[in-house]
Amino acid sequence: MLQVKDVHTYYGNIHALKGISLNVNQGEVVTLIGSNGAGKTTTLRTIQGLLRPRTGSITLNGEELTQVPAHLITTKGLSQSPEGRLIFTRMTVLENLEMGAFARSDKDGIQRDLERVFTTFPRLKERVKQRAGTLSGGEQQMLAMGRALMSNPKVLLLDEPSMGLAPILVEQIFDIIRELNQQGTTILLVEQNAQAALQVAHRAYVLETGKITISGDAKELLEDPRVIEAYLGL
Amino acid sequence: MKQKILANAEIAAIVLIGFIALITGGWSVLILTVVAGALVGAAAPPNRAGVLRALIVGALTALIIVAVTFLHNAYITQLPKQDAIPVGALQPTTYGLALLLGIVVAVLVAALRAHPNKQRGRTGLLILVLFFAVIFPFFEQSVQLFWANAVIVSMIFTLQALGLNIVAGYAGLLDLGYVAFFAIGGYTIAFLNSPQFNLNVSFWLIIWIAAAAAALFGFILGAPVIPLRGDYLAIVTLGFGEIVPIVFKNLEAVKIHEPVTAIFAALFNKPEWVRCLVGCTEPVNITNGTQGITPIGRPELFGVKFMTGQYIPWYFLILAMLLLSVFFISRLRSSRIGRAWVAMREDELAATSMGVNIVRTKLTAFILGAMFSGFAGAFYGSYVSFISPDAFDFSISVIVLCMVILGGTGSITGVILGGLIIKMSDLLFLDKFQTVLGGVLQATIFQSVKSQAMTNFLESLFNASQYKLLLFGLILVLMMRFRPQGLVPSASEDAIT
Repeated sequence: MLQVKDVHTYYGNIHALKGISLNVNQGEVVTLIGSNGAGKTTTLRTIQGLLRPRTGSITLNGEELTQVPAHLITTKGLSQSPEGRLIFTRMTVLENLEMGAFARSDKDGIQRDLERVFTTFPRLKERVKQRAGTLSGGEQQMLAMGRALMSNPKVLLLDEPSMGLAPILVEQIFDIIRELNQQGTTILLVEQNAQAALQVAHRAYVLETGKITISGDAKELLEDPRVIEAYLGL
Repeated sequence: MKQKILANAEIAAIVLIGFIALITGGWSVLILTVVAGALVGAAAPPNRAGVLRALIVGALTALIIVAVTFLHNAYITQLPKQDAIPVGALQPTTYGLALLLGIVVAVLVAALRAHPNKQRGRTGLLILVLFFAVIFPFFEQSVQLFWANAVIVSMIFTLQALGLNIVAGYAGLLDLGYVAFFAIGGYTIAFLNSPQFNLNVSFWLIIWIAAAAAALFGFILGAPVIPLRGDYLAIVTLGFGEIVPIVFKNLEAVKIHEPVTAIFAALFNKPEWVRCLVGCTEPVNITNGTQGITPIGRPELFGVKFMTGQYIPWYFLILAMLLLSVFFISRLRSSRIGRAWVAMREDELAATSMGVNIVRTKLTAFILGAMFSGFAGAFYGSYVSFISPDAFDFSISVIVLCMVILGGTGSITGVILGGLIIKMSDLLFLDKFQTVLGGVLQATIFQSVKSQAMTNFLESLFNASQYKLLLFGLILVLMMRFRPQGLVPSASEDAIT
């Protein structure tokens, strides 16, 4: 469904992504794990069009995305819950969710997705009129995910959803990811918390300094000695 | 811990208004108590206790203003070179009315804010504001306060400030040459309705042409610069603000040669080859240079002619335009583009991911801002009936920016307040302050100074109006240090940072 082929991205002269290839199939949870600075966020930003790859191709259902302007990517069916959440703190919860549907004009569909977000995240419904900046960290993460879902994406991109959250909340967030997937959402999950990510994912890619070094079935990677040593710390 | 009766900010505000009352005196006591009452009511917490508090603080404030005005009327008028106070203003009934009005307004505003039905409360407040806005000019004319001109010009500048608020407040763009669009609007009406080209286009048509012309220049200037990041826009607009008045100043003797033949003529040293295109027999005078253009046409509506010195029609015309603009801007704010502005100011990356086209959103704000300035420029040109390049220097851009920052970036109420405060203090208060200061100096220092040169030096040293820009600069610095969100922060700015 989402196909990334031999993508090279630069920050000025710094070669950040050195030929990334990955694909996400319909209905899958695919995770991209790696340590700090490996290029996980850069990969997601490149897919989202916020960074332009120098070479390589990114396609969604066969449609080339590398030439699409960043603000139109969401209309093509990609939506991201960004690293650090980046919710609009001064808007209310509802306004944040409405911003998620900014590029859409089908009122009925938006209303349906809003209901769906509220069923998935009942906490957001309780706080619908509250300023987003006054939410707790976990609620803010839920809001960022809900906002991304409001564009009704074909593939949901999640960048470090567990970052800065208490262990119990991390568990809750991963439960929600599993639940979303069971409802049919295709997810590309970027995580530092490799253990949790590999447990929820079907397949996984390991990213090291801009290159994919290991890839395969998530369950197999959980047992892979290289992964255990480097990322699971067991 | 000891409970404080008044907050520091309230004490500062009361002292400030008291000081203003001390300087202005006379009939202004009625206006000052109403304004102070409104502020007290607005500052009180919106509940039952707040109303009681507004009653007490309002009474105290009104009492102070009345007492201080009495001091002015009794003592400051005794100083040399002061304006006489009209007899009516000295009557006990005037003082009593001022006191009563101050208290009533304070309580009314607080009560409306505390109204259980928020929508109704807001409507009530609006009616109250409109009521005073409508009776003001009649009061002003009947007691001969001589405030009308200053109020009208302040309202025109407030219109500009509302436009800059879209650019700086909503889109977060720093426009340092905002005066350029004001000048374009002013010259548009000067060209289309004045003896300069013997044109007499209807005023009601010109204001839209002026707005469109300013918007067009906003697009031409903004389109190449806004996609760039950083402070380039500030630099480019700063330059544009300087260029536009200079262009208007220099377009008084235009003669244009056809450029290609001119190059060949220069190359082969054959001046007779040059083809002249414009102004061949006599250079064309477009803007009349530093002399400016006058008289500029006035509007006419339902048989009412808007003439110089007849302030009431002008006042209501510009009040109507101001209300229309406020309505338009607040609708804009809650529209799709308005939400895009808010999202963009919070986080451009996230907004882009949501589907907001950052460049187009910023450019729209920039153009809308330019449009408002052009609109205001046309009103200004028609009102003063005289346009010259000197009326559009850099200080106007700064003053309008000051209005936005003082009032509260992004807040419509705040910007209106900021605009009126700054321009009124510029046009009214500083003059009056100068008169009083002159009187005080005359009565004290000057008596003992024998040399005329020394007196002249002291007079120019203590000339308050030349410290105007220093004062506005000081306001900017103090606001940035102590209250960066402005006097009336916008709803989306307060509480969270």
